[in-house]
Order: sequence, then structure tokens, then C-alpha cells
Amino acid sequence: MGPKIMDSTQSIVEMRSVRKTFGSTRALQGVDFTVKRGEVHALVGRNGAGKSTLVSTLSGLTPADAGTITIADTTIEANGKNYAASIRDVIAHVQQTPQLFNLLTVAENLFLESPSVRGRFGVVSSRAMLQRTNELLGKWNMEIRPNSLAGELGAGARQLLEIMKALKRGVPVMILDEPTAALSNAERRLLFEQVKTLKAAGVSFVYISHHLDEIFEVADTVTIMRDGRVVKTHEPVDALDVETIADLMMGEKTVRSVRVDYMDNAASVLLEAKGIRIDQFSDEDIDFHVRAGEIVALAGPVGGGKEALAMILAGQQKPARGTISSPGSSSPRIGLVPTDRHASGYVGILGVRENVAIGGLDILSGPLGLIKTAKEQVHVGGLTRQTNVIASSLEQAVSQLSGGNQQKVVFARALCRDPQVLVALSPTRGVDVGAKEQLYALLRDLASKGLGVVVVSDEEDEIEQLANRVVIVLGGQIRDELVGKYTMNDLVLRMEGVI
Amino acid sequence: MSNLSNSLKASKRSIEQSRLSTLGRAFVAGGYTMYPVLLILGIIGAIVAPRFATTVNFINILEQVSVLGLTTIGLTFVVLIGRLDLSLEGIVGFAPMLAAVTLVPAAAGGIGIELPAWTGLFVALGTAGLIGFFNGFMVVRVGLNPFISTLGLLVLLRGGVLIISNGRSIYSPGKALTYLGSEKLLGLPVSVLLFVLIAVVVGLLFKHHRYGRALYAIGGNEEAARAAGINVDRAIWSAFVIAALLAGLAGVFLTGRLDSAVTTQGQGIIFSAFAAAVIGGVSLGGGRGTIVGVVSGVLLIGIINNLLTLAQVPSFYVQASTGAVIVIAAVLTTLASNRSSGVRTRT
Repeated sequence: MGPKIMDSTQSIVEMRSVRKTFGSTRALQGVDFTVKRGEVHALVGRNGAGKSTLVSTLSGLTPADAGTITIADTTIEANGKNYAASIRDVIAHVQQTPQLFNLLTVAENLFLESPSVRGRFGVVSSRAMLQRTNELLGKWNMEIRPNSLAGELGAGARQLLEIMKALKRGVPVMILDEPTAALSNAERRLLFEQVKTLKAAGVSFVYISHHLDEIFEVADTVTIMRDGRVVKTHEPVDALDVETIADLMMGEKTVRSVRVDYMDNAASVLLEAKGIRIDQFSDEDIDFHVRAGEIVALAGPVGGGKEALAMILAGQQKPARGTISSPGSSSPRIGLVPTDRHASGYVGILGVRENVAIGGLDILSGPLGLIKTAKEQVHVGGLTRQTNVIASSLEQAVSQLSGGNQQKVVFARALCRDPQVLVALSPTRGVDVGAKEQLYALLRDLASKGLGVVVVSDEEDEIEQLANRVVIVLGGQIRDELVGKYTMNDLVLRMEGVI
Repeated sequence: MSNLSNSLKASKRSIEQSRLSTLGRAFVAGGYTMYPVLLILGIIGAIVAPRFATTVNFINILEQVSVLGLTTIGLTFVVLIGRLDLSLEGIVGFAPMLAAVTLVPAAAGGIGIELPAWTGLFVALGTAGLIGFFNGFMVVRVGLNPFISTLGLLVLLRGGVLIISNGRSIYSPGKALTYLGSEKLLGLPVSVLLFVLIAVVVGLLFKHHRYGRALYAIGGNEEAARAAGINVDRAIWSAFVIAALLAGLAGVFLTGRLDSAVTTQGQGIIFSAFAAAVIGGVSLGGGRGTIVGVVSGVLLIGIINNLLTLAQVPSFYVQASTGAVIVIAAVLTTLASNRSSGVRTRT
């Protein structure tokens, strides 16, 4: 099957009967996992299947309770104690959220703790650091300045920086956990090129992604996990297709849903934006409206202004100019699902009930502002059923839920005030296939009940599955609009800003 | 057969265990961690000092802690939203002093305005409220770190007390200012009754009022609270105002109890207030804490002080022992809340 099988007999990672328990949750129930030298090994599964836990035990980020882990020449008998230090030189783990120092520059972030830029007495040579950073950025074709602060970079650049930092260490095994979640298509291509180059040089990758199409693009082999167990291991990627993988992940047949075509130009306008300028640099007005019953997508390249426009619509950001109004009512009720649920979606230390209720404290409280407990219980219970939240009780802390359930809690909160318009940014980021379909069904259901839904997304599939109308936002302006029956091709070209 | 019954037994045990752990979690989350300690302390106290377990002494303790108690409840508003307010200590001294110097004639140390007697309480609380408003302005509008802005204000108020009083304490500033801290109602000091009333009201507010819910949400994740539609700026601002008002009232209690506005009034109280809050399970990072817990922290400090005095521990040792107890109690609370705060799962 080609040259990549060449030295595949040699394994670089061997995990045997690895176990990990969190409280009463058995996250890993005796997992075996093998990675061969020079392969890209995809690890897939739903949220909560144990992928992140497995790679965390592999890198030592969370020590395994039991089992054997061998990486290159190092063998560890896990017993719950920390072993990260002993494998530091053979494995690197890039986590979902970048662990950068926001107040240090790009160069400092890359070469922190690196002996290669240190002179005598440990004095760091900033010239050597800048030069090496420039080389590295050149190699990656990244157009950022080495002395700009990491905190000033966009999400995609930060993610790439994190990956560069790990790759630079020259370890034989790399774990990439959802590396493309924040990347634009162009940035994703940069990453894949680097992965392929390093693979040719003999580096092995463990690659976690929810995007099954990516797996076919970069991976050689696939391991599928479900409920803390491996259901299929070390399967050549050529022997699988998207449907089979999805079925194995879910444990049942899944059907990808399609959008409901809906267009009613007589439906009432729920929210209207007139003459909006996103910031003082915009030089063209944005006019936009949402009608009852429609799902509108805001799409376009990262940084093109679609998020800003959505936040303006939701009343969370002030436009430089223009007005938002609602012809039907004086104060439109708008629910917001923010783009990053960890940063601004939920309050981790609070329970499900409290998280949902903060979305509608005014309607849940009496004239004196006291919360009506019984009403709250019923209302929140109804919303969590509507959004399919699975938790041990309404009091369980949201930080303990899986990613998909956390996102459903955020949806429930956004719906708490019985909104007329729902604005959802990246509604299914980092959410597994099953939860994704549930959220799509929810959005369609809401639209059919007469809500106006605005979705902001970077995923073509998501937009194509949901939106009847796609508004392309680029350079702070509305560039184009697709209505009704559009093709995937139309969409992709416009989202990339090609047309 | 025995296998089955064994496994049944095991599952029953695990259900009981989980029920126990749920109970334990609720116990800690509700802020009850310190109450067993208080009980033990009470028993020890009754043994070593016969005068400890008397009604008179208990009322005495409550009267002593009402000042610290109000300040700590005020501080809790600000700490719940992940901020802090050092200037509360300054308010305890400044607010009643300003009221006193505007009331009494110049001969008695006043500044010669001689406002009518009934204004005393209003001047004190009005001043406190204005200071809180200023603190909120600095944090919300100007965007200062509350540590430095309220530290500056604390020092400023300390100096302010000396300026307006000319460095002299003012005696008998008048009934309007001293009534709350000196009179009794139904055999109980008014200050104690008011402290209990405020603790109950604030406890209900935190638990059942939308404002309390907003405070917890902001302390837990400010951005999420904003995205949920909560007016975060207004909540922060008002928390500073309420904290200042409670500190002002605490200052009035103290002035009433001493029947004078003293220049050193309230000195060091902010440290005790922080200690009481942390002992009571309030997280300095925000988002966690209950009034039940805060009251336990305040009582612990009050009882320790009382016991050490009754046990005739030399006064030099009282302060050091209190400090040691604070550290031990804080360790206990932190361990308990870490134990019970549950698992963190990752996907």
C-alpha cells in the first residue's frame, strides 16, 4: 500500500490497559493504543468518549491510574502519580486552547526556556531570538511580526504558534488535540503541510479532530473511541469512509440532516440593522434584517467582521454608527450563544440551573426581584429538556459536563428569556457529531416556531445544513448574499473571499 | 447466591456513600464547615472559663462582633464579584467622624457647622455611600484595579480623619449617632438585632434574589454574565456602594458603643474581615461564598477573642493567637472545599 508502510512494524507509542477514573466517571476503561513511527494516527470519538483523557495520560498531563505506557525507550507503570517529567523529551502535547503568554512577544513565546538563544551566564540574546523566529515564521509562511505580543494575534495565529512551539522541541511524538478548531482554511493548509513534512522526517502524530474530512486529508490510520473504550484500532484510513466512522463513534447509524428550505418574504421583520458601521475604519453602511422563521448565516473569512456584526445585532457591542431596531416591539428579546463557551459561555463553578437562569433573571423573579423557585425549576427543566442537556442533576456544576452538554446549557441559557431572535456564534465548535445534529434540530425547530435565527460559522457544512440565507461579510461590509437553493461550491468560494 | 447478596450489599454501600458525599458537598457549599468547630470551641470555652457559657457573655460576644460582622458582609458583596475593597476600614473610621464633627460645637472639637442633631446618621451613611460610589466609579468607569484604588482611598481616609478632627477624638457626639450602638430593645442591643436582621436579609438576597444570582455569575465568569444579558457594570458599581454603606453602619455602631468618634476607629478591621470571609468559605477569586459561612467566620474570630480574654491570656498573646487560629481555620475551610468541589472531567 505504498511507501508509508515501510517501517510500520516499529511502534513508538505502546499503551496497555490504561485506566483513568474521575470521581465516579470511568473515563478510560483499560485502553490499548499503539502508534507506529512516522504515522499520523487519528483519534476520533464523541465528546466524552475519552480521547482527550487518553492523550492526556499519554503526555502525562493527567496521570493514568493504572496501565503501562511506553514512548520510545521510556516505559512507565502508571499508578496515579505524576510522570510528566520523565517523558518530557519524547512527547509534546498541543492542547485545545493555546497556552501562550499573552504579554510576551511571539519570539519570546517560541524561545522561552530554549537554551539555543542563551549566551554566557544565561543571558538571552534577543538578536539570535529574533533571527531564529524570523526563520521559523518564514518556514511556515506566516506573516506576523516576531515582536508583536502573543495576546494581539488572532485565534488562528495563536494556535499555529502553539503548534510551532511544540514542534520546535524536536520530539518524536506529537499530540495535536483539535488543532484546527480556530484555524481558517489557509492556516489549516499551512499546518497540514508542516505535518506532512515532519511525518516524512519520521515524527509520529496523534491527531484528534471532530472534522472527519480532515482525517482523510492528513491521517494514515484511525482509532475510534466510545465511552472510554477503543472500538476500532489502528485501521488504515483508506479502508474507512465518513459514514462508517460516524456509525462507530455513535454506536448506531447516523444520518446527516439537511436544511429545511424556507423563504417567506412576507414574514415580519424581527430585527433590523440600518446604516451600521462596525468600527471607525468601515466605509460602507451595513443594512441587515432577520425575518421570523428564517435561519440566516453570517459567513466569510476570519477577521472579516462577521463576529463583530453578530455581537452588534445581539446588543453586546456598540457599532461606530447606525441603529438596531425591532419593528414589532420596542425592546427586542435577543438570545446570544457566544463564540467561545469556555471564555464567555458558562459559569463553570455554578450548576446547570443557575447557569440557565441567569439568562432570564427578570422573567423568573417577582416584583421585589426575588426568584420564584418553583417557576425557575419548571422553566429551567423545560429548557434543558428542549436542548437535551444530560447531567446527573440540575445542580451539577457545568465544568463537570462534557463539551457538548456545556454547549447545550449555553443554548438553554440563551433561550431562557423566550427570545424572538437567537444569535449563535460557532454554535457547534468542539461538539461531537451526535450533539451537533441535536443542536441543528433545535435551531430548525426554533425557526419553525417563528424565531429568527442568526448563525455565525466557519464551517461550510454547518452553514449548508442550516441556513436558508447566507450573508457574506468581508472587510466590515456585506459583500454578497446567497438565498434559497445555493450549492456548496457557491458557498465555499464566497466564504474564502474568492468571488 | 452469596455473590449476589454481596454485590447487592456493595451497591447499597455505594449508594449510601454517594448520598453521604452529596450531603457533605451541600454542607460545605452551604457554608456550614465551621459550625462544628464553633461548637467544639464553645464546649472547650465552657470548661476552661466558667463565665463563657452565660447569656450575658453571649450577648457581649454578639455585640462585639456586630461591627466586624457588618464590615465582613459588606466586603463579601465585593469579593463575590472577584474584586476587593480595602477602603472599608477607612469608612468605618471616617464616616462617623465626619458626622460627629458636623454635629458638635467647635468647642467640643467640631468644625463649627453644628448641623441639627437628627442628621447624624444620615451624614455618616451618606458619606459612606458617596465613598462607595466613588470606588465603583474608579473600578467600572476609570478601570482601575480595585486593590490599588481602594488602598489609596484607605490611606486618604485615614489622613482625612485626622484632618477633620484635628487629631482629637470627639466625645458624646449625640443620640442620633450613638443610638444604634448603645441602646437596647427587648433586652437585646439594637446593634445585635440589626446585625442579625441584615445578615438574614443579605443571606436571602444572595440566595433568592436576582441581584445575588447576578453577583455569583459575575464572580464565576464575568464574560458569561455579560453574554447572558446581566448589566455587569451596574452590579459591580452597586456592590461597592452597598459594601461602603454597611461599613459606614459598622462605624456608627462602634461610635455608639464607645460613645465617641475615635481617631483610630476601625484600624485593622479589614484584615479581620478578610480573615472572617475566607474562614467562612468565601473565595477571594469570586463566585463562591455564603452569608451562613461569613457569619461563622465572624463568630469564630469573636469567640476566640472573647475566650482568650476570659482565660486571662496576656494581651500580648491575644493578637498572635488570633492570627494562628485564622491560619488554621483557613486551611480547614480550603481543604474542605477542595475535597467537596468534585471532579473535573475533560473531553
